[in-house]
Amino acid sequence: MERKKTKSRREFISSSARFGLVLALGGIGGLAFRRSTGDQWVWQIDPFKCSWCGRCATNCVLNPSAVKCVHAYELCGYCDLCGGYLIPGHSDRSTAAENQLCPTAAIERKFIEEPYYEYKIKEDLCIGCAKCAEGCSAFGNGSLHLQIMHHLCVNCNECAIARACPSDAIKRVKGSDPYLMKGDYTK
Amino acid sequence: MRKWAVISIVLISAAAIIAVIIAEHRSALPGRRPANPFAYDVEEFRSVDQELIRWRETHQVQLDREDPRAMAYSDGKIYLAAGNELQVIGSDWSRILRRTLPSEATCLAAAREGWIVAGMGNHLVILDSDGETIAESEALPEESSITSVAILGDNIYAADATGRRVLIYNRELEQTGEFRGDSGVSDVHGFIVPGAHFSLAVNSEDELWITNPGIHSLQNYTASGRLRSYIQRTSFGIDGFSGCCNPVHFTFLPDGRFVTSEKGIIRIKVIIGTGEVESVVAPPELFREGTNAPAVAVGDNGNVLALDFDRNMIRIFEPI
Repeated sequence: MERKKTKSRREFISSSARFGLVLALGGIGGLAFRRSTGDQWVWQIDPFKCSWCGRCATNCVLNPSAVKCVHAYELCGYCDLCGGYLIPGHSDRSTAAENQLCPTAAIERKFIEEPYYEYKIKEDLCIGCAKCAEGCSAFGNGSLHLQIMHHLCVNCNECAIARACPSDAIKRVKGSDPYLMKGDYTK
Repeated sequence: MRKWAVISIVLISAAAIIAVIIAEHRSALPGRRPANPFAYDVEEFRSVDQELIRWRETHQVQLDREDPRAMAYSDGKIYLAAGNELQVIGSDWSRILRRTLPSEATCLAAAREGWIVAGMGNHLVILDSDGETIAESEALPEESSITSVAILGDNIYAADATGRRVLIYNRELEQTGEFRGDSGVSDVHGFIVPGAHFSLAVNSEDELWITNPGIHSLQNYTASGRLRSYIQRTSFGIDGFSGCCNPVHFTFLPDGRFVTSEKGIIRIKVIIGTGEVESVVAPPELFREGTNAPAVAVGDNGNVLALDFDRNMIRIFEPI
C-alpha cells in the first residue's frame, strides 16, 4: 500500500507564503482595476426623495456635516421674494441677518438686475440643515437642494445619515457619477 | 468557580449588546426620533382660514388619458388636450369628440362660435368644431414655448414664455404684432418669465389680462399691447403670490373676478380687481404636494373647473 506523501513544516510554510503573496497581489490588482474603472460606490442624496428632516446636519460623523446645500441655477427663478433665503415675516427683502432663513448665513444674495437676485452657497458655512431647501421647495422651484460633497465625505461603510434618513433618500451611486444634481438629474 | 465567572461575563456582555441594539432600533423609530433642531414649519402657509373657503367640490370627471396638458371651456363644452389628442366633453360629462392633432397641444382657447386655437410649442393651429385644422401659423424658433392662448375679437394672442413676449395673430394665423410688456414707466417692468408659466386670458368685458409671473402681477393690456393697469401682490401668505412663477394659470368668473391657480403651495383662489383675496376655491390640502398647479376654466354657470394633472381628472367646484 502506497503511503501518502506528507509535507514537511518548512514546505508547508513556504507554499502558504507563496499562496498568500499571490492572493495579496491579486487583491491589490483587483482593487486597482476597480478604482481605475470608476466602479467605486459612494453615498448620495436623491433630491426628489429628501424630506428636509434636518438629520443630515446632526447625524453625519463629520462636524460640520459633509452634506451641503447646492443650487441648480437652471431651475432657479432668481426671485426677489426667495422662499429659501428669506424668513417668513421678514421686515425687508434685504440681506440683513434678521431676514435670513439660513441659521449660519451661508447663502449669499446678490442683485443682478431688476428684479433678479442670484443666490450662492458658501460651502464652508453650510451645515446641511435643509431649511433653505424646504423653503425653496415650498414656495419656488426647489432649485436649492442637498448633496453629499465627496471632497468631504469619508464614505463610511454604513452611512450614519443614510441610516437615520426617514425618507430613504440616501443611496449608493457610482463613484464615476457621484452627484444627483437636480438640473442635470432631470435632463 | 472560574468557569462560572466566564459564563457570567459572556451572558452580561450578550445582554448589554442586545440592550444596545434594541435601544438603537427603538431610537430610530419615527415616533422616537429627536426633534429636528432646524425645523422650518411651512404648514402655517398651507392652512387656510375656513371662513375663506366658500366653494365646495361637487363633481370629478376622470379622464381616460394620463397626459392631459390643457383645458378650455366654451358654450357648455370642455375642450381638453392630452398628448396629441383633442377631446370635447359635453355638459353630461360624456365625450362628444375625439380627434388626433398634428402634434401635442400645450394650450387651448375656444371661441363662442365653436372653433378652437391650440398652441403647439412653437406654433399655433386653428381647428374647426370637428377638430379639423383650418389654419396653421409659421413656426417660431424651436426654443419658443407657447404656454397660453386667448381670443379677443379678430385677434389671437399667444404667450411665448421663452421669448418673454406676447404674439398677436389674425384669424388666418398671420403674425401681426408682438409686445413685451414694457410700459415706459420706471416702476413697471416688462414680462419676467422665469419658468414655462406665462398665462393670458380675456374677460367678459373683452379686456386682455396677462400674468407677469416674475413680479407676481396680473396686467391689463389694450388690444395693441399697451399696458393699461395692473395688480401686484407678493407675499408668502394667501394674500398674495410667491415663488418664481405665480399665478401659473388664471381665468375669470362671469362678473370679472379672477380665478388664480398657484404652484408650490398649490391652491385656487378668487381675487377681486384690487388684488385682494375674496375667497378660496380649493385649499392646498386638496392637492398632492409637489405636483403641478391645476389649469382652470369657468363654466357658464360660474362653476370653477380645475384640471388636476396629478390625478388625471377635471374637478368641479361650486360656490357654497
